[in-house]
Amino acid sequence: MLAVGDSTKLEIIFSTKKYKSRISKRPTIQTNEGPPDKHVQIIAHVVARPDSTYPVLIKPYKLDLTQFGDKVRDEMTFKITNVSDQELKTTMIQFPKDLFEVDLPKSIGVGESAEAKVKLTKEAVKSDFEKSFTIEFDDQMASRFTVPVKRTLRAARQQAASSAKP
Amino acid sequence: MRRSVFLLGLIVLLLVIAGSALAAPRLTIPESVFKFGYVPQNAKVSHIFWLQSTGDDTLKVLKVKPG
Repeated sequence: MLAVGDSTKLEIIFSTKKYKSRISKRPTIQTNEGPPDKHVQIIAHVVARPDSTYPVLIKPYKLDLTQFGDKVRDEMTFKITNVSDQELKTTMIQFPKDLFEVDLPKSIGVGESAEAKVKLTKEAVKSDFEKSFTIEFDDQMASRFTVPVKRTLRAARQQAASSAKP
Repeated sequence: MRRSVFLLGLIVLLLVIAGSALAAPRLTIPESVFKFGYVPQNAKVSHIFWLQSTGDDTLKVLKVKPG
């Protein structure tokens, strides 16, 4: 229920599975406004070989901040390599502010690699999640890349469970 | 004098009834399309859309069907 003038969030999670190439999904939102129903749309270009993208390569292309044991793992670096023939400026399009922040290089020269970093917030350190962030580059296509970020506290939880057993 | 007060009251009442009968919920989605760009296989990515109630009656989200 949304009072007049209020807003709410709708999170759409897209599981890329074994999809290939351009995928578009159009979830339907049914309300008491009546027909026609409204839609949101997500568009993704699912790549089977993330090690051959253009204009940049991102390594690793999935970030896994899974924590083994008690030692806190709250950050991870990744590398962005400019494989185009022009200097590229980066723009952060979206990231979940409550879970992590992303330090990006402002620009990357032709053929150069730059380091970027994901750093978890204090709250995120205690939680499991599977989210993502999206970066845009200023090439002619305004290319975007979405990087999945995953965190589980598997080992720590298993240890806690086993120590709780009589 | 009494009659004109009665008529004025009647008009106000009719306007209130007509207004509530015409009140309608309205959903506005300021940004309804999102481009992820390149994404790897076997991963989960997500985006948050904002839904706004811009009508003049309470909006109820009844169902969200995957696309």
